[in-house]
Amino acid sequence: MRVEFFLLMGALLFTIGCVGVLVRRNAIVILMCIELMLNAVNLTFAAFAHENQSMAGQVFVFFVMTVAAAEAAVGLAIVIALFRRRRTTDVEDASLMRW
Amino acid sequence: MELLLGLIGVVAVFALVRSFLPARTLPAGAALGAVAVALLAYDYRELVGLEFWSGLIGFVAIMSALMVVIHPNPMVSVLFLILNLFCIALFFLILDAQFLAVIQVIIYAGAIMVLFVFVVMLLNLKTEEGLRLGGGPQRSGAIVLGAAFAALMFYAIRNRGEAPYFDPGPSGPGFGTARDLGGLLFTRYQFAFEAASILLIAAMIGAVVLAKRKLR
Amino acid sequence: MDPAIVRVLVESAVKIALFFFVMLTAVAYMTWVERRVSAWIQDRRGPNRVGPLGLLQPLADGIKFLFKEEVTPPHVYLPVYLLAPMLIFVPALVTFSVVPIGPSLGLLGHRIALQIADVDNGVLIVLAFSSMGVYGVALAGWSSNNKYSLMGGLRSSAQLISYELAMGIAIVGVLMATGSLRLSDVVAHQIEHGWNALYQLPGFVIFLTAAFAETNRMPFDLPEAETELVAGYHTEYSGMRFSMFYMAEYANMITASALAVTLYLGGYHVPGLARLGLPETAAALVQVLAFCVKVAFFLFVYVWVRWTVPRFRYDQLMNLGWKGLLPIGLAHILWVSFLVLKGWV
Repeated sequence: MRVEFFLLMGALLFTIGCVGVLVRRNAIVILMCIELMLNAVNLTFAAFAHENQSMAGQVFVFFVMTVAAAEAAVGLAIVIALFRRRRTTDVEDASLMRW
Repeated sequence: MELLLGLIGVVAVFALVRSFLPARTLPAGAALGAVAVALLAYDYRELVGLEFWSGLIGFVAIMSALMVVIHPNPMVSVLFLILNLFCIALFFLILDAQFLAVIQVIIYAGAIMVLFVFVVMLLNLKTEEGLRLGGGPQRSGAIVLGAAFAALMFYAIRNRGEAPYFDPGPSGPGFGTARDLGGLLFTRYQFAFEAASILLIAAMIGAVVLAKRKLR
Repeated sequence: MDPAIVRVLVESAVKIALFFFVMLTAVAYMTWVERRVSAWIQDRRGPNRVGPLGLLQPLADGIKFLFKEEVTPPHVYLPVYLLAPMLIFVPALVTFSVVPIGPSLGLLGHRIALQIADVDNGVLIVLAFSSMGVYGVALAGWSSNNKYSLMGGLRSSAQLISYELAMGIAIVGVLMATGSLRLSDVVAHQIEHGWNALYQLPGFVIFLTAAFAETNRMPFDLPEAETELVAGYHTEYSGMRFSMFYMAEYANMITASALAVTLYLGGYHVPGLARLGLPETAAALVQVLAFCVKVAFFLFVYVWVRWTVPRFRYDQLMNLGWKGLLPIGLAHILWVSFLVLKGWV
């Protein structure tokens, strides 16, 4: 019962992030919306950790943050490498393997 | 909860009306006006309650998330995402996860977002053109699924039961402190901890290799 | 409202108001101190015309800045341009809010801690708001819409985050010895076991070096020298907004000195004070004074180093941060863990 507010917030933020990934063109903004989704998930984990009084939820949040950091670093490096080749961060332009 | 939904509702209606005009950004005035109206309608005795602050922080979080997605300038999106991360850190504080709240500010808002700012500055990105909107089937699918999601949330909130929302109750002593978290990290989840450190080294090397210029 | 909440709010409001007033005055008079001490090192007089010993000079400078014309160039991105100076100034002040200035006093029937916020994660909040300070510099450079400002902002924020890492590692050494994240516990541990600077000397040196780099002071002030040479991140700012950057640098200096004192030099501890047997309020006053003297000493060291060591080039700076301080910091952590294991700390 106590946890619904945070679950609702997590759901809303996750949806907004999802829409952002689907709709935006700029690769960097897409990466940011992915971070938004990861944060929504973190919020949900922390809410459940609080409700069940179990620290396992918070440990998971810790690991999600670590993985998000690693993924953001590598993702941005890829975007930079792509930009050096094509002078654009538009994902619609990265269409070599599209049919 | 009602505060949050009321605020979002007012802003959503305004945005819908406004979207028929060629404007891509939610006017800050609308948001502020919604906050003022909601505050006037609210019971003043609740103003120091946790419910009020949670609702306010939730409103700011959702508004900033929307601005991340909507605003055409990538740097402004980054700034709104930083605001959103701060709101999530405040939520962690409300949820008795104090160590995670500060770690969120240090790592997410303080390091990862700096990385994003760097890349936006390095690539000198300006305002982008157009969204990737699909055609007819995507639009009708979006409307149907959006309505279904709204209905789902509505019924989930309606049938929540009798207990009040914000009854976090006292947590155990030391719940959410660094000592507790660290204790678990180094005993029960030690393998995951070591694996995460290897992951970070791999990511670091990968990022350096990918972004390096070729030496001529 | 709950009377306990009211009491906490009133207490915090008074402390914050006092702290604000003291901090802003200190920042203003730091300019005077810097000019007089630099002059003394360089064998000349400093400002000595405005008021006795030139003490009204900061006032004159403030009035000058107030009356300067604020030119807002048309090509800047206005919302971020206006936000950036605040983003540099505010983290310095917030970081100071967790620093204990003195022992807890018993005033008016309540125990008042001489610290605005004695939170469980004091040290982490320090690190968090140092990370926030990077944004002001980067955004000032970006919002100026000027290639040179952009590059200046990028380089100086790269410098800031590199040295943030070294600072964090030095702080980890202190944390391992103390066993708690509260800054008041850090001071209590030093009162009991001796000042951290005595047995954690490498960490102390690393922290000081990183603090110099974090505050953009000599010998790491390439971002400012760029202002002299071509441009810098605050080239498009004038008048009151420029003075915000200037004040923010001094505020950062004061905060960094206060942190160095708290983490390594025992905070407000005066060795041997307990033997004098003073009444509690007088003892607290002496300790607050001792804290101020120690911070003043570090500020003097800041100015002293500025006129002693030549400026680093950018690649030398980055090499020092990543290839020099980081390995020394890791070795220092090994050393402190050895000390803790043996129980000598």
